[in-house]
Amino acid sequence: MSKNWNIERRTFLRGAAGALVPLPFLNLMENSAKAASVDLAGNSKPPLRFVTLFKPNGVHPPSWNIEGGQENDFRMSPLMAPFAKHKDDLLILDNMGDFGFSSHSNSTRRFLSGHHQNRKSASIDQLIADKISGDTAHRSLELTTEGLFTNQIDCSYISYDKNGDRIPRESDPQLVFDRLFRNPMHDPKQREEISSLLDRVRDDAKSLQRKAGREDQETLEEYFTVIRETEQRLENMTPVSGPEGVDFSTLKRPESAGDLNEQVEAMLDVMAMALWTDSTRCISYMLGNSNSRMIFDFLGIKKQHHYLSHFFRNFSRSNIDDLLKISLWHMEKFDYLLTKLKSYKDQNGSLLDHSIVLFGSGMGHSDNHTAQRIPVVLAGKGGGMLKTGRYLRYSKNQELGRLHLSLLEKFGINSPSYANSSAPLPGLDGGHFEEYQERPFDSWVKTGNGKITVQGRLRMSDNLDEAKVFYIDADGKPPVRIEVGFGDFHRFNLAYHVGTPITLTGDSSERHGRLVLTKVTDLKSVFGKSKPGKANG
Amino acid sequence: MDAFNENNREGKQLQSLTSLVYLDLLSSVCLMRPFLYSLVFTATLSASSTAFEDEVRPILERSCVKCHGGEKLKGKVDFSKILTEQDADAQFELWKTVVEVLEAKEMPPDDEPQLSDAEKKTIIDWYQKRSQTSIEAKPSVFEPRRLSGPEYRNTLRSLFGFDLEVAVAEAEQTVISDQSLVLKLLPTDPPGASGFINDTHRARLSPVIWDQYLHLSNAALEKLFSKKGRAQLGEFIGTQLPNDWQPVDLSHDQAERLIRRFVPRALRRPAPEEQLAKILAAISGKRGDVLVAATKFELKTVLMSPAFFYRGLLMEGEPGKQQTVDHFELAERLSYFLWEDRPDEELTRLATNGSLRDEQVLDGQVARMLSSPKARNLAQSFGTQWLEIDSLDGLLAKDPIRHHALKTQLIDFLNYLFTENRPIVELIDSKITFVNQGTSGFYGKDRQRMKRHATPKGIERQRTPHQKFELVHAEGRGGLLTMPGILTMNQGPIQRGTWILRRILGVPIGEPPADTPPIKGSPRGKNLTFRERFEMHRSNVTCARCHEKIDPLGFALEGYDKNGQFLLASDRPKKKANEPGKPIDTSGKLPSGETFETFAGLKEILLTQKREPIVRNIVERTLAYALCRKLERSDQPVVDAITQNLCKNDGTWKSLFQQVANSLPFRETIIETANISHE
Repeated sequence: MSKNWNIERRTFLRGAAGALVPLPFLNLMENSAKAASVDLAGNSKPPLRFVTLFKPNGVHPPSWNIEGGQENDFRMSPLMAPFAKHKDDLLILDNMGDFGFSSHSNSTRRFLSGHHQNRKSASIDQLIADKISGDTAHRSLELTTEGLFTNQIDCSYISYDKNGDRIPRESDPQLVFDRLFRNPMHDPKQREEISSLLDRVRDDAKSLQRKAGREDQETLEEYFTVIRETEQRLENMTPVSGPEGVDFSTLKRPESAGDLNEQVEAMLDVMAMALWTDSTRCISYMLGNSNSRMIFDFLGIKKQHHYLSHFFRNFSRSNIDDLLKISLWHMEKFDYLLTKLKSYKDQNGSLLDHSIVLFGSGMGHSDNHTAQRIPVVLAGKGGGMLKTGRYLRYSKNQELGRLHLSLLEKFGINSPSYANSSAPLPGLDGGHFEEYQERPFDSWVKTGNGKITVQGRLRMSDNLDEAKVFYIDADGKPPVRIEVGFGDFHRFNLAYHVGTPITLTGDSSERHGRLVLTKVTDLKSVFGKSKPGKANG
Repeated sequence: MDAFNENNREGKQLQSLTSLVYLDLLSSVCLMRPFLYSLVFTATLSASSTAFEDEVRPILERSCVKCHGGEKLKGKVDFSKILTEQDADAQFELWKTVVEVLEAKEMPPDDEPQLSDAEKKTIIDWYQKRSQTSIEAKPSVFEPRRLSGPEYRNTLRSLFGFDLEVAVAEAEQTVISDQSLVLKLLPTDPPGASGFINDTHRARLSPVIWDQYLHLSNAALEKLFSKKGRAQLGEFIGTQLPNDWQPVDLSHDQAERLIRRFVPRALRRPAPEEQLAKILAAISGKRGDVLVAATKFELKTVLMSPAFFYRGLLMEGEPGKQQTVDHFELAERLSYFLWEDRPDEELTRLATNGSLRDEQVLDGQVARMLSSPKARNLAQSFGTQWLEIDSLDGLLAKDPIRHHALKTQLIDFLNYLFTENRPIVELIDSKITFVNQGTSGFYGKDRQRMKRHATPKGIERQRTPHQKFELVHAEGRGGLLTMPGILTMNQGPIQRGTWILRRILGVPIGEPPADTPPIKGSPRGKNLTFRERFEMHRSNVTCARCHEKIDPLGFALEGYDKNGQFLLASDRPKKKANEPGKPIDTSGKLPSGETFETFAGLKEILLTQKREPIVRNIVERTLAYALCRKLERSDQPVVDAITQNLCKNDGTWKSLFQQVANSLPFRETIIETANISHE
């Protein structure tokens, strides 16, 4: 143990308590991670980590999207403000996802499994855990905030095992802490007993296997797998106070949370501790179910998040303000996590430098459930695997499966395809990618007999007082206002086409000398699909 | 434009890819269980030409065979080979998919000629008729399953004779949470395909759960050997232990008696000789602390063995055939069904002497078990999950006393119906209710007959038990549907109507489609009620499909406010309908044609014309809970038979439970042949 231990311990305790930690102090702390590998020059390399933070219920696109930016020249959007200070450590992806509408549950499955029909294989966090967990005590953690939403059960899970089955989630920071740092497997006497227990129960179960029917065998196989994994964990759990390890008994158990904010911050603290002590290298954490019904009363909001997220149908200025407050809170938690990971020194860098954090949601527009322009941000350099500080807006919509395939590749898992994608997403490491280019198109307005046809770029109003209004800009003309009911908004999937040129036909009227399109009769995309997929999406 | 075409092509590929995956999955299921399928799909033959050949096949040939037949075989579906009704029956699962894609408008694809509504109806009607006539009852393939959280808690409790609780003092008015250490530590079980959490087939064992089991086993064994567990330990050993007894005093003889009693109770059947011998050998020759440690360790190996926390691993049977489950498995099925707990000594005795399989004995045991306090778990688990009563937990989280009053009233009432041999339909209408201080306000003059409850001095508010109570004067009450808990957890006509439709009438109805337009406000200058605005909404054909079923049920309950108060009671000051100037309108017409003016009128319809579907729904839910799995096609005849029987004889809940316990899928199983492999 280093001579500085007293300082480390004191500062660590403060760090674990959650709030307001003086960062320079924390940087004094060395971690206990064992070197994952040694490079050619004989220098040890810290292990790589993969962390996922899931944001429920999509976004209000004009607040999230970056408009007009380029790879190395962009301004972060208003919703990104809480984590803008980490810009150099971020890789912001745009034009991710390509599905017209998606149910909450399908979009949840897609988030780490590439496609909603990919129901028989593991999600990528699990594949990565298999690869990188090495000799850590816990192969992976699957965490969440909110209870199960039983009506559409898949809304509550992003992590799936190798059979595509849901992996149980944990939500209580105290219980997770106990499992990590108060585990009997750390105690030498108990370790011995657990070890012989494992031998015994396996022997007993083997004698059962001899006479078992087929379904019994499958059950026993499940049991044997857990026994094997537990043996592995036992081997990997270093006893309490090894020569260079952190004495777990000095780690402070989180207090019982008074509100959701405290609960989430306590969990993020435990996550950072788990990574720093190299107790695990892979964590998925859901800030809520994908159709989160949580009430953010500590933000002074009385309505359910899901209700508010349908901001077109349930439009009012105060509703959209509340929705944005909730989204900003999510972004603040992402910032909290990044700040935490940066505050821990990890050999010759910070914990974040040797991690990849995937932050995002399952859908873009939260009322229409478009699975397109899905918020996706990667953070951390992943030990050099990612070239951060950039904004990648792809020329075409990209299936999430391509990102997943790419991440698998980064972590050394070679697979010809994942979900329905067979080409990895280019550009994450600084390599070539086809960047979004403005393409020339004609824009014009034709009117007559109460009808209108307009061609131009569609945008959502960024005025929150009229958040359900769209505009089409045509050269040399005042913008045409699109003010339609939910039926048209949804049937023609306006949300999907935002930011792209379309030809829109419908009924028009004039208001204050401006053209207003009040009913849509036809929509054609100039460059893309007019009708993106929706079947079971 | 190039980009447009290219994108479009991608879209197409995706679509065909996904349907391919889906059908692939289907065919692999078929391949896995050819044996079972050949049993299930034995068609009844009819001599003359059939509805399939006359009506369905021509439609398929017109509209589907182009892509699904002959050379082109999209999704590996070939309708051109399905010529007769027998051919069709041989691929029954396919038709389920066909009906699903028709209903979801996924097929034919958008750019192909569509089927007319009449054509769709022909196919769907044929499928429904077919699915009801050509099935032979079969049990399902035997599958062991892990105990659910509550089952594990109850099993541990009845095995040890005490509970493991979280060390926390909870004041009556603080928070709602379960004090059970087991439920706190184990991750929440998701409901399985059946909708019930005892359907754990897809909730697999994980390292997290294994750790928690180990922790709980340790905690229970430590408690057994502590002062708090002294009485229970004495019971295992067969003597009352003196007050000053210390674990170090444990004699070898006592340890052996403990083990011989503990192991079969934990495994719910006689302990395998081999296992018992191993355990006894491990403690042999040990004394004092060493003996205590060894004994605890041995008991822990039992609690951590798969035979303890999975059900069914030790069942005796002959692979490759359909058979009656063994005596101990039958006892376990019965006790986990009615008690959510392991079999007691009486059941074990009847399993040991082999008489439990006798129909009368089984009926007698159902009756006996229903009179045990443990049968409350039937209302607590089955009732709560079926009727979604847990949705009160979130709604009333901030008012634990009201939460207790409303929720316990429902459970008390269900428990009364289930355990006191009440007719099934009393769920809908009953003269009996349960009332405490928190619910008495709903019962008008009747509350005066309540036994007085004196709140102890110094206590501000208190949870009080419910009293069983006969309704005399109270208006608008009787039966579950008008209990304040149900009316509180379902607010507004749409939630209430949907709930009755799904939970009581058993009509499957999905979430509203994503493209549901919002309910419009009143047009300018008109002051429409919510109901009138909904009638406008219903004029949209897409909406009408569900709302003509939902709305009449829900609006019939408009006389009850969001807390469940009855606004139309005769002793209430006249007013004050929900919208000024307009009286409350509770009338309605069901899609099947029946009309009513008030909720009482609707209730009458539920009790007469709708009795059969309600009873059928109850039978299906009960059977699925008892079998811990989703019902399959081959369960249909059993559901039909029990439903008819109960409808004919004004059957009671007890009779339902007895018929379920004696039903073929409950008593029998099919054991699949093992692939021999060793770890």
